[in-house]
Amino acid sequence: MIFELGQKFEESFIISDEIYNGFIHTFNDKNPLHTNQQFALDKGFKGVVMHGNILNGFVSYFIGECLPTKNVIIHSQEIQFKNAVYLNDELQFKSEIIGIYESVNAIEFKFDFKNKEGKTVAKGKIQIGLFK
Amino acid sequence: MDRIEILKQINAIFIDVLDNEDVVIEETTQATDVDEWDSLTHIQLVVAIEKHFKIRFTSKEIQSWNNVGEMLNCIQEKGI
Repeated sequence: MIFELGQKFEESFIISDEIYNGFIHTFNDKNPLHTNQQFALDKGFKGVVMHGNILNGFVSYFIGECLPTKNVIIHSQEIQFKNAVYLNDELQFKSEIIGIYESVNAIEFKFDFKNKEGKTVAKGKIQIGLFK
Repeated sequence: MDRIEILKQINAIFIDVLDNEDVVIEETTQATDVDEWDSLTHIQLVVAIEKHFKIRFTSKEIQSWNNVGEMLNCIQEKGI
């Protein structure tokens, strides 16, 4: 087994213009919270709020590209959004293995994203399978 | 824990994982008896059962099960 309980991983991500606009272009979610500065200000935010599911894209990248094997598939994923994320925010992603199920070749991770102020903006869990 | 109680708790896990309130698991139940019990669901069930009872199975044990009753035997052999 190439993974061990408690193993930790770290990545950093920036929500760039390219990612933000690419998400809108791809999924067509133009809700004013994500696209209208005044609307977002009126709701008490500092500016347009990035789509939470952009973070799921980073999680996908982490599982698909950052682990020591490419023989992986995501079984399930859950995420809670705790604080708003804004354009060009730099996010620190930390993940830790919290379960290894060798009988079915499955690994469970917990993860969180923190912004530059150290606030948790999202956290969750992922279960992946390992191909033999 | 007696066998009936283990089966009751496993049934609750099946209901949760399969997202089907109507599922009733018996000792003779096999994967082919339950529509939603496919290979991916099987992994989720095993993980949920291992977590719930704080036990670990081996792949050999899992492959040896032909029905829920044989899974119950395995759980009881682990001291539950």
